[in-house]
Amino acid sequence: MHLQLVDVHKSFGDNSVLRGVSFEVSPGEVVALVGENGAGKSTLTRVISGAHQPDAGRLLIDGVPAAFKDPQSAMARGIEVIYQEFQQNLFPHLTVAENMYVLDRERRFGNLFVSKQRMAEAAGTALRRLGMEIDVHRPVGDLGVAERQMVEIAKAMTHDLSLLILDEPTAALDERESEQLFAQVRGLRAAGVSVIYISHRLDEVFQLADRIVVLRDGRVTLDAPRGELDPDRVVTAMVGDTVDDFYPKERNATNQVVLEVRGARHADFHDVDLRVHAGEVLGIGGVVGCGRSSLLRALFGLRPLAGGSVSVAGTPVRVRDVRDAIDSRIAYLSPDRQAEGLCMSLSVEANVSLASLRDYSPAGNVVRRAKERAATGQVISDLRVRTASPAAAVGSLSGGNQQKALFAKWVMTRPRVLLMDEPTRGVDVGAKTEIYRIINKLTADGVAVVLVSSDLPELVAMSDRVVVMREGRLVAELAGDRLDEQSILKHALVGAV
Amino acid sequence: MTSKLKSAASQLRAVWMLLLVGIVLSVASPVFLTPTNLLNVGLATSVAALLAAGQTYVIILAEIDLSVGAALGFSSVITAMTLRDHGLLPALAAGLAVGAVIGLVNGLLVTKTRMPSFIATLATMSVLAGLTLQITAGNPIAVTDYDFQGIGQARFAGIPVPVWIMLVVFGLFGFVLARTRFGRFVYATGDNAEAARLSGIRTHRIKILAFVISGVLAATAGFIITARLSTAQPTAGSGLELAAIAAVIIGGTSLAGGRGSLLGTLVGALVLGVIDNGMNLLDVSPFLQNVVKGLVILLAVFLDRNIDSLRALVTRRDGAGAPPAPTPVASELAQR
Repeated sequence: MHLQLVDVHKSFGDNSVLRGVSFEVSPGEVVALVGENGAGKSTLTRVISGAHQPDAGRLLIDGVPAAFKDPQSAMARGIEVIYQEFQQNLFPHLTVAENMYVLDRERRFGNLFVSKQRMAEAAGTALRRLGMEIDVHRPVGDLGVAERQMVEIAKAMTHDLSLLILDEPTAALDERESEQLFAQVRGLRAAGVSVIYISHRLDEVFQLADRIVVLRDGRVTLDAPRGELDPDRVVTAMVGDTVDDFYPKERNATNQVVLEVRGARHADFHDVDLRVHAGEVLGIGGVVGCGRSSLLRALFGLRPLAGGSVSVAGTPVRVRDVRDAIDSRIAYLSPDRQAEGLCMSLSVEANVSLASLRDYSPAGNVVRRAKERAATGQVISDLRVRTASPAAAVGSLSGGNQQKALFAKWVMTRPRVLLMDEPTRGVDVGAKTEIYRIINKLTADGVAVVLVSSDLPELVAMSDRVVVMREGRLVAELAGDRLDEQSILKHALVGAV
Repeated sequence: MTSKLKSAASQLRAVWMLLLVGIVLSVASPVFLTPTNLLNVGLATSVAALLAAGQTYVIILAEIDLSVGAALGFSSVITAMTLRDHGLLPALAAGLAVGAVIGLVNGLLVTKTRMPSFIATLATMSVLAGLTLQITAGNPIAVTDYDFQGIGQARFAGIPVPVWIMLVVFGLFGFVLARTRFGRFVYATGDNAEAARLSGIRTHRIKILAFVISGVLAATAGFIITARLSTAQPTAGSGLELAAIAAVIIGGTSLAGGRGSLLGTLVGALVLGVIDNGMNLLDVSPFLQNVVKGLVILLAVFLDRNIDSLRALVTRRDGAGAPPAPTPVASELAQR
């Protein structure tokens, strides 16, 4: 499909989101669309897919003007969108096979009654053709995020596909799964399908895209073949001025051991020994399912250790539940701030003080509001959480500011150890940098940080030292010259492929 | 919009509703606005209001307690029996203890067996209603203790004791909900139990305690009803759970959890009480009274929902057919 957008405008009330966007996608071309949150990427996606109608400007398909009144009419022309993880179009209680064909108008697998067997066979064939091994009889709700995404892609490919839009497809995938996804995108390109690939991750964009289009404030600020670009130029076009230091890493590590784990065991990992020093960031590399996320959850008391010992600042601690962890000054930043991180309809202030409320309600459980307000206000401004007011619902903040509010909650507990799992997931470039600065501030205060991240450049840049886990065991420790993306990947994957 | 503003707006709707009904009735009936009649409204509202106070805690936790009416009946009967055999203080203690145990059982069922509260409390409601009839053989138990009767019939400073009890309970539990750590944990657990648990809140304990409060307040309401009638009726509480839930909803508390207030619930209970009272003054048939109450519940929830779904409509469709100027929040959401 040859898609052209000509001077597309779209506003919501007074808020003009797209202010004259023009670019084109040729058949068999992968165009990366990048920009900070709020730049207009999602709105643009919806205009192309028929979910929104442009206020002005035109869409041309193979030179002919097209106007989609709804997503169904765009789908009829072979345009499919796969939205980011939180907005997947799957039915959790239906099986993989049912999900793939439930909205299929052409293939009904029987006239009156659906033949589940024939449907399952077709689904299995379709998945295998894409190199995916997923049991088609399992309910989608039982699958992991990565597998669900694979099902979505397979589902999109069951139709006549001419343009696929992927919105942050790798946000929840590990390196290996991402590679699989990239292989599929390349396969589609070879088959003449056009792809619009939206991502915050520049390394992916440079791996995959033929052309890169940058949106800022509803305008195209850069549109050029990949070969003519480098990441600095793209970041500059995204944020408007030169970002000289994307990873503002400060080295604050000392020799003083804060967290010591010996022989930790659990269903998902074995014999884990760790030492993290005051002011140090210890990164943990590995693929999803290698046990690193389970390790953090176990250290935080969410699923207690089956064996082994933990000490904080030389004192042995027994962490049986979250309360014990907080009392031992261990904090944990969940990778899923929607489901496990924040109470979205509560105020920013109430969220920030939630884990440390004990400190502000000494006598008779009554919360000292003035004290609470002063303490939360301080942390909210220190961490630069941008909110209309501390009393605003935390759900009304942007993703980046929600994430900073989550940090603020744990900073309030004055932790000695902060375990963080994917701390910058789904956060735009500007907010990422601010989160890195928060990590610097914490380490400057002597906090021992354990960082789990699937974003390899981030893991390498922000860690002082990285250990790699594979199949529940520590397999390597990398620091200094030996710490780079290739080494982490090598150790994470060898034996697992 | 902030969470505070949001729940304040929901309460405000209940206040408007109360004023509107009040004005209509003052015009329609010369008796309505007399002090005697207003105290009657307070007296008649007190029982449902106490049940609704406990229910508010439970509903903010995104649970529900269908057993409060049956708990009221059961505890009343136990109270009356203990009163007959052992005297006033043991009777009060027994009644409150029964309420607390019922709440504890409900709370344990909901948290430890992970049963949906709708099912668990539906079951305890049935068990309690049956037990009450079994131990009384269906007969009311007369109460002759003068002091106990005072709980329902005496006045203090010109105001009936049940109204005082209602005010004290709402003052106390309103303070607990709004100003204490426990209250904050109730909101947090109701909004997102996982996030609350990961913040170190023992969410099971919070839920169990809320069900215990609900049970104890049901027993307290049982004292009032028994004292007023000088009899413990085995079926005294039947249907009251629905009145209590209605008061909570009219008061702007969200069934989805995380939002609501005790002040709203008090206004909600008064709306229902005033409507009851007004229809009696105007000689409306008792059959029609239920129809009107049902419609009021629909109206309250409709207003609540309508605001939300209008906002959602703006968010989803943006522009096409929706109001011309969406709020900043809506357009922000639309961008994502």
